[in-house]
Amino acid sequence: MRERVRALVRPSKDPVLAAAVALLVAALCFAAWGGWSWHAAADDGARAYGESRDRALSAAEQGVQNLNTLDHRNVAHGLSTWQQSTTGELRKQLADGRGEFERQVKAAKTVTSAEVLSAALYELDERAGRAGAVVAVRTTVNAPKQKPTTKDTRMRCELSRTSGGWKLSALAQVPVGDSAGESGPGASRQDQGED
Amino acid sequence: MTTSTRDADTPAAHTAKTEANPAADAGRNQCLQLRGRLAASRVVLAAALAVAVLAGGLMLFGAYRLTSDESAQNHALTDREATEEVSGEVGDALAKVFSYTPDGVRATELDARRLLRGEAATQYRRLYGQLRKRVTEQKLTLTTRVVHTGVVSLDDHRARLLVFLDQTSTRDGDQPSTAAAQLAVTAERRGGEWRIVRLAAR
Repeated sequence: MRERVRALVRPSKDPVLAAAVALLVAALCFAAWGGWSWHAAADDGARAYGESRDRALSAAEQGVQNLNTLDHRNVAHGLSTWQQSTTGELRKQLADGRGEFERQVKAAKTVTSAEVLSAALYELDERAGRAGAVVAVRTTVNAPKQKPTTKDTRMRCELSRTSGGWKLSALAQVPVGDSAGESGPGASRQDQGED
Repeated sequence: MTTSTRDADTPAAHTAKTEANPAADAGRNQCLQLRGRLAASRVVLAAALAVAVLAGGLMLFGAYRLTSDESAQNHALTDREATEEVSGEVGDALAKVFSYTPDGVRATELDARRLLRGEAATQYRRLYGQLRKRVTEQKLTLTTRVVHTGVVSLDDHRARLLVFLDQTSTRDGDQPSTAAAQLAVTAERRGGEWRIVRLAAR
């Protein structure tokens, strides 16, 4: 009996086994640490906010580029893209002016392309689903029998979060002499048609 | 049980031999059992170890991925205070170094020396060096006002911003004219203060 007991007890006296158990405890601690870090990282509010910010910013860049791009040969497609990039008041304005605008662009036969040079969000209210961005954009207008003209414009836009992601709800050029924050982009207007 | 029945039938010589055996057999059995148990516990231990290490490693890697991706490393707007601080300091710096009066050429130069570093400083010296004489001779003034600032990226040491400026210039009593400027600015934090290291028109 004593033999058996000793035999049973012996494993714990085995230095290899003791080391293995210690190793296992260490491994479990390591796993716990990993789990805790992962949970903490995944649960981080700032991280979620940062991701929202990046999504809103790329929507601003894409939206401003879309709304400064139009080809008279395919106006319908271009204007649909405008509709898809916008929401709220801006979307309504664009829809209202669509017919007139289509006619103008077809008559002028312009091809407008845009390149976003730089963009940054200046505000983000994640809970309300609203954001504001400043965008520096270079537009190139090609009209028949004319040299292409390039213009650098500074724009300010507002974004709203919709079920289809962030979309532009207001867009306006920042005019010279505009005091910061005073003229809201509420009265947004595209200067697309002007050549 | 089998041993006892066998014991009864076997001759004495055999009995002596087999009688010595039960203890050895028992020992061997125990040893085998123990070895088996040991082997089994080793397998279990090794498996548990492997699972724990793997799980821990994977979760740590996941945490690392989550915290080290660009979005998490960028503190623009997520750290409101730091964002406002860098916007304010960079805006003030731009307003100072891009404003001058015929009598204040020296002051502008000193501001620039303090606020600009690296490439931005070199660039500015080259530009301002040419301009300096004309500022006093033709009585030029330039006033720069920050219209909008957005922070593109921000960490503890470095920030990139997009700044919209209005620049109003006058030549000795002429009508002032205002022009728009868009600048992409890179700033670095040196000794607790933000310094502009790169400027590019946008």
